[in-house]
Amino acid sequence: MPRVKRGFKARRRRNKVLKLAKGYRGARSKLFRSATEAVDRALNYAFRDRKVKKRDFRALWITRINAASRLNGLSYSKLIHGLKKANVEIDRKVLADLAVSDPQGFSEIASVAKTQI
Amino acid sequence: MKTTKVAKKEEVTRDWFLVDADNKVLGRMATEIANILRGKKKPIYTPSVDTGDFVVVVNAEKIQLTGNKLADKMYYSHSGFPGGIKSIAAGKLIEKKPEDLIRKAVKGMLPKNKLARHMLKKLKVYAGPAHPHEAQQPKTLEI
Repeated sequence: MPRVKRGFKARRRRNKVLKLAKGYRGARSKLFRSATEAVDRALNYAFRDRKVKKRDFRALWITRINAASRLNGLSYSKLIHGLKKANVEIDRKVLADLAVSDPQGFSEIASVAKTQI
Repeated sequence: MKTTKVAKKEEVTRDWFLVDADNKVLGRMATEIANILRGKKKPIYTPSVDTGDFVVVVNAEKIQLTGNKLADKMYYSHSGFPGGIKSIAAGKLIEKKPEDLIRKAVKGMLPKNKLARHMLKKLKVYAGPAHPHEAQQPKTLEI
């Protein structure tokens, strides 16, 4: 059997990590050991935060809907309650978008909710 | 989520509000002010951008505190040297610097980050009934 040297594979493996660590501060982008730790952690955060992002945005939409519905004289919870009773199935993402880009349309939806309370 | 609109720093339109602190309870007034400074009353509210309005507070010296807080509520500061802690009661601070009482209360209700310092700059507090912001035509706000 031919003799196998380990250098080639080892370099490939280390470069793979160092490539992901580009742009990190100081040793974390240059030294394999530091870079491994930083990259592992970064990928874990990225995995977690792809889920957290969905919650964050839902919270933001709710804040915006609350602000817009208070301008129309009812609170967020009253608005959602009224919409549910009226069988309006517009979700929070679209409601928040309406609140920003089409305040008139939002007022009409709010008045629908008002009639149900 | 890609479609959620984000407010841009340059495009934020800011109003001016005038609050009369006469006979108001400090904390209750401060929550309202903090919400306005943060922009939480606007549909375009974006956490990473300061979307808030300006607030002018007059008659800061006539603010009310409930209970025994005039004597009991203490404000602490530290000079950094050993034994350098200083304390002042709320009642004393009202006499000395009534603006600070409101500013501190609002500051505590803002997020603890760089943006908060920016937001706090939009709060203008005056001890008496006069203020130099007539040119901005602040709208009177009832709290």
